[in-house]
Amino acid sequence: MNRIPRPAQRCPTPIEDYGLIGDTRTAALVSSDGAIDWLCVPRFDGEVVFGRLVGGPDAGTFRMGPASPAPVVERRYRPDTTTLETSWAVGASRLTLVEGMVAEVAGRLLPTTLLVRRLIATGGPVEALVELDPRLGEEHHPPRIRVGSRDTVCAWGSLALSLGCSPPSRIDVGSPTRITVAPDRPLTLTLAVAHREPLVRVEPEAAWNLLAEDQASWATWTAEVDGQVPYREAVVRSLLTLRLLTHSPSGAPVAAPTTSLPESPGGMRNWDYRYAWPRDASIGVGAFLGAGKVSEARGFLAWLLHASRLSRPQLPVLLTIYGRKAPGERELRAWPGYTDSRPVRVGNAAADQHQLDGYGWVIDAAWVLERAGHRLYSETWRAVRSFANLVARRWSEPDAGIWEIRGDPTHHVHSKLMAWLALDRALRIADTHRLSARQRRRWSTARDAIAEAVASRGFDKDRGTYTRSYGSAELDAALLILPLVGLDERDSSRLHGTIDAVWTDLGAGGPLLFRYPPGSDGLAGTEGAFLPCSFWLVQALACVGRTREARELFESLLDHASPLGLYAEEMDPASKAHLGNYPQALTHAALVQAALALRDAV
Amino acid sequence: MDWAGWALFGLIATTGLTVVMIAAQLAGRTRLDLPLMLGTVVTEDPDRARVAGFFIHLVMGQAFALGYAATFALLDRSDWWLGALLGLLHAAVALTVLVPLLPGIHPRMASHRAGPASTAVLEPPGLLGLNYGLETPLVTTAAHLLYGILLGVLLTGG
Repeated sequence: MNRIPRPAQRCPTPIEDYGLIGDTRTAALVSSDGAIDWLCVPRFDGEVVFGRLVGGPDAGTFRMGPASPAPVVERRYRPDTTTLETSWAVGASRLTLVEGMVAEVAGRLLPTTLLVRRLIATGGPVEALVELDPRLGEEHHPPRIRVGSRDTVCAWGSLALSLGCSPPSRIDVGSPTRITVAPDRPLTLTLAVAHREPLVRVEPEAAWNLLAEDQASWATWTAEVDGQVPYREAVVRSLLTLRLLTHSPSGAPVAAPTTSLPESPGGMRNWDYRYAWPRDASIGVGAFLGAGKVSEARGFLAWLLHASRLSRPQLPVLLTIYGRKAPGERELRAWPGYTDSRPVRVGNAAADQHQLDGYGWVIDAAWVLERAGHRLYSETWRAVRSFANLVARRWSEPDAGIWEIRGDPTHHVHSKLMAWLALDRALRIADTHRLSARQRRRWSTARDAIAEAVASRGFDKDRGTYTRSYGSAELDAALLILPLVGLDERDSSRLHGTIDAVWTDLGAGGPLLFRYPPGSDGLAGTEGAFLPCSFWLVQALACVGRTREARELFESLLDHASPLGLYAEEMDPASKAHLGNYPQALTHAALVQAALALRDAV
Repeated sequence: MDWAGWALFGLIATTGLTVVMIAAQLAGRTRLDLPLMLGTVVTEDPDRARVAGFFIHLVMGQAFALGYAATFALLDRSDWWLGALLGLLHAAVALTVLVPLLPGIHPRMASHRAGPASTAVLEPPGLLGLNYGLETPLVTTAAHLLYGILLGVLLTGG
């Protein structure tokens, strides 16, 4: 073992090069050279300890891999689990990194966050490199370091990390260390996190066994996924990703584990997605329920109702994972951002917007559960009634729309359609729940008025398509949810016309779509193609019976996944680089919904 | 000790506390729902849980009132301010000890260590119940102050 000089900063790693490991309380991103460049503790929205991804070289990393550059020969998740394997060819030998986070710690004396990483050499000894350089928070505070006989502790006040190593080796914090890994002696490192509680030390071998137990649990979890779902491998990876991004203590689904990965390299569209959007949770209800994961679907609805309790009947656009209002947006001025994309933001200003479509997603999620035979509790029905009442009262007002445009509110046609959906589904639920005749009349009248308004002001008769907003000539890819709404029959020319017009006008090449005409959101610069919209196109085509086109498109989209089957929010149509926060729950939920639509179309 | 007062006024004070908590919840100040939290120990249906939880809460309120009555008897006096002081202490213990410890014994409440196998659906309240809204400590303190003042006024110290 010896120490080597710190290497120069690696070139910006492509977003899609990262793999996700997590424990359903927080998550880390690992590059193919074995570097954890993003981890917040103790929760998704906690303080950053490894932040090199957007914080620059001083923001911390935890790298394990070959000491010299070596080609990756295999990288995969172990089937049906969240354990990640990366193998490098080093001369005639091979070095493999197996890693994961222990998810099931409840009921046992274990740290809340426990990262396990093991290097295995085959074919001969391999010189490996370990670099542990944790830095806390916005200012990249280095830790106080205490080297003990059993571990090395990095501490900042009430937060501490304990590094364990087997076989015992001295790992210097803050500078790379070389270690030779022999074929019969794998190197296992554990990183235990303690936040406002005592450190719990776990022997590396015991931690490795815990990771193996977790693998078995995940395999059992995935075995429950409906066997009839097509493209099972991609669907299972998406469901696992959605589950990893769901905070188990509260049930909240975070949109992504990262902040400020740019929607265009060097651009300013950099947002903090470490919060939970009720819309995403609602889409997740359908995805999990359709795939046979009922308790996850019910959990999302329970979180939605609990989290929105304080603001009801208003539905917040986004919330923290514990259901509080998201903190105000601020910029981390000293952070360089990913590929110099500034500003890096924390907090999210979209929290204060009025978005009408959210009510439609939530009430539809309740309807999906009710339709599947899971009777809603009276409390759930009360919440649905309050949301429907608000929609009936406010549907005619302009709103910020699904894309959270930070300009003046406008009359988004997609929002009106979702308002129609909200009232329609509420009326359907009312068939089996108590509702006064006066309320029923009010909802029914509002629903009909919305249909009338959308038909007269949100439809371009010349082109035969619904439009982005009242009187606008522009289109909106969110309109692709039309076949699911039920306002038009599935063979209606309005519906087919809209699908074709969106595909043509907003097409970005291949299966990719822009969500709206590029550059029409009032912000400087441009953005990539919006991946959930492509999966919505698959879903729309499948729903209207154009199964062959849907299937071709879906398969093409699968080819655009990261090597590990993950998706960001957006993609550069030219380079096919993933853009935006990563991995993105909405994209993965849309993938599952598209696969389910293909299953149901068959 | 004022046994007759304890039997009657314990119920009145607990009802007063419950009214404050429910009113605050309906006004959107907190998501802390004591009847729901207590009742979900026995059933997962929120509506049935609230009924069961209300009665559990009455019993618990009565038990706590015993402590107030005993304190007044020991001090040989009872005043509104003494009740308020005990109410403050009661609120502090509830917020810093009882509520944060609930995930350890509640079968349907997740802890901050919950993993994917957890079937608990109630989120943990956290220190001071802050996960249920930033005003939760204020509401809880106000409710316990009322509880203590009512007992201080209604119970006799002798």
